[in-house]
Amino acid sequence: MNTALMVSDLSVAIDNKQILDGFSLEVPFGEVHAIMGPNGSGKSTFCHVLTGKSGYQVRGSASLNGDDLFSLDVAERARLGLLQSFQYPTQVAGVRLREFMLEAAEELGLDLGEATARIETESERFGMGPFLDRSVNRDLSGGEKKRSEIFQMAVLRPKVALLDEIDSGLDIDAVKQVAEAVEAMRSPDLAVVIITHYSRILRYLSPDRIHVMIDGRIVDSGGSELAEELESGGYEALRRRLGIEKVVEDGPVRKPADFFTETPFDV
Amino acid sequence: MTAFDAASHANSKSNVPSWRATQMDSALEVFESLEEPTGFEEDWRYVDFDLPFAELSQIESPGEPLSGGPFVVSLADNSGRVLIVDGQVLESGSSSATVSTLRDLETDEREYSVVAVDHNKLAAAHGAFSNDGVFVDVAANHLMDSPLVIEIQGVTPGSASFPHVSIMVGENAEARVVVVYRSADGVELLMVPEIDLQVSDGGRLRFLSVQNLDHAATNVVHQRMTLGRDATGRLGEVGLGAKLGRLDLGVSLEGDGASSEMVGLYFGEGSQTLDYRMLINHSGRNTSSDVFLKGAVEDDAQSVFTGLLRIEKDARRTSTFETNRNLVLSENGKAHSVPNLEILCDDVICGHASSVGPLEDEHLYYLQSRGLSRGRAERLLIKGFFQEVIDRLPIAGLEAPVSEEVFRRFVQAQEEGRVA
Repeated sequence: MNTALMVSDLSVAIDNKQILDGFSLEVPFGEVHAIMGPNGSGKSTFCHVLTGKSGYQVRGSASLNGDDLFSLDVAERARLGLLQSFQYPTQVAGVRLREFMLEAAEELGLDLGEATARIETESERFGMGPFLDRSVNRDLSGGEKKRSEIFQMAVLRPKVALLDEIDSGLDIDAVKQVAEAVEAMRSPDLAVVIITHYSRILRYLSPDRIHVMIDGRIVDSGGSELAEELESGGYEALRRRLGIEKVVEDGPVRKPADFFTETPFDV
Repeated sequence: MTAFDAASHANSKSNVPSWRATQMDSALEVFESLEEPTGFEEDWRYVDFDLPFAELSQIESPGEPLSGGPFVVSLADNSGRVLIVDGQVLESGSSSATVSTLRDLETDEREYSVVAVDHNKLAAAHGAFSNDGVFVDVAANHLMDSPLVIEIQGVTPGSASFPHVSIMVGENAEARVVVVYRSADGVELLMVPEIDLQVSDGGRLRFLSVQNLDHAATNVVHQRMTLGRDATGRLGEVGLGAKLGRLDLGVSLEGDGASSEMVGLYFGEGSQTLDYRMLINHSGRNTSSDVFLKGAVEDDAQSVFTGLLRIEKDARRTSTFETNRNLVLSENGKAHSVPNLEILCDDVICGHASSVGPLEDEHLYYLQSRGLSRGRAERLLIKGFFQEVIDRLPIAGLEAPVSEEVFRRFVQAQEEGRVA
């Protein structure tokens, strides 16, 4: 099977703080993979580095369907077929969702008729009709924002979808709906990476492979048994099994008074 | 054309009613006693006003009117048209309101000017030299369903003119008025219009102005709106043109239950200065007001927003808010935003929000992550930024031309590499 996403030995730092360290991942077309890891393990950083957000020091390589990603800018990567569903989708006042999707579709080379048809069909399917002519993500609930992200994915049909915490902030029915949508979008032309710190969404979704991420790298990969292990023992048990010590950072102890001295009153 | 002195003053008042001539005489004394703005005064501190009256002339007869124009043509569905050229009323007619000119008024029944003559040198000049004007009366209970269009033009090089418009909305009436400012291409001139808007008890006014002067013109508008009991005033202010374009706006919520809204947008390019000064004064009880003003500057342009919300001692249950958002799109562009509150009553809800900065990286990143090129993402954000205002303009019909003009300016700057 063809490799959709290949990430090799990825190391990422922000302001000289190491976030990812020797991260490697291979996801074939047609598969759904889940990356699970505790808060702060570097999951969102991984998504943003692949998407092309600036401000990171990056080493290593990543390719989509054989094309190098790191030599491209954010938009070029998207046009190649990469799409991130954001954990915190930003509100964009005044820009309407329909207009946004039409512009994006044009950049992807879709003709207007096809773009319009997809917007109609997918908005119906995800109940996004009422939001099409409203500002992108403006005044949407957490669940509606995630639904909007999935809707955008359905319209733009990426080759590789990175779904960052697509289940956080959702009630159980919404989690189920999102999971079903992802399953329904499974296709030989799509690879999906679901990033989550709960195993909850995996009850409604059967990933082909589960990876566990701790301290900036994949420490274990497997099938559904891995999710079950995490469900019962948490990341602590997994650390013990793999013999990974918890690194406790001794940051400076901050007293309330420190905050005052740091407040820039003269600004 | 003649200079601004006593001889020309005598000439300019020759055709006005005697009550008005008396007013002009006393205003002339104030005009002569006041200094021109130097830039050191608090209300001129960000603004470079360099058009001394000594270098300007008074107009004896108005120049040739301009025809067409991008905004007026979109207002074919109107209930009347007024044309003022170089301060003189050339056309006035309405199927939905009574329109008089200064010469028709035998007495100063409704107070020719509500702007204090000593407000500044320019207001005094208006008081001393304004010798024509239109007076619109919308009868009580009358509903105007399409707007009265007032076009204010300046065409004569080196002139100073003083257009005067007064709108009176009767009790429980509803009025719609659009003012479009234009001037001849490349012509340096000064306009000091006064726009008085009075809304009687239970009346409603929708008022939209589009300032689209040539970049050689200077325009200082004094605009006042007074609202009676349960009256509503919705203002839309679009600022595109002029070398220096100032809107000096005063809204007075006098009647209990009155409410006002002012939404506006401006886009400065080249070396334009677009300057908004406003005082929203709440004296009635249970009144509410909202100011929502957004603007962008590129090249060396600058904008100024100074907005004071004032709540008087007895104005209980006032609710008021002002928002001013600025995009600075070039290294040399500047936006000054100074919102102020003066609250003399404690039973109120009020607040303000103000921001100055470039397009947000977070927004650009999100749009680009769906495949939009940087340039396209910027254009979409600019459009969206102004769309919020355009959606709220109080009179329909000018959304498309306003949006197109703003967009055109940005796209042109982008193509020429003038945006950072």
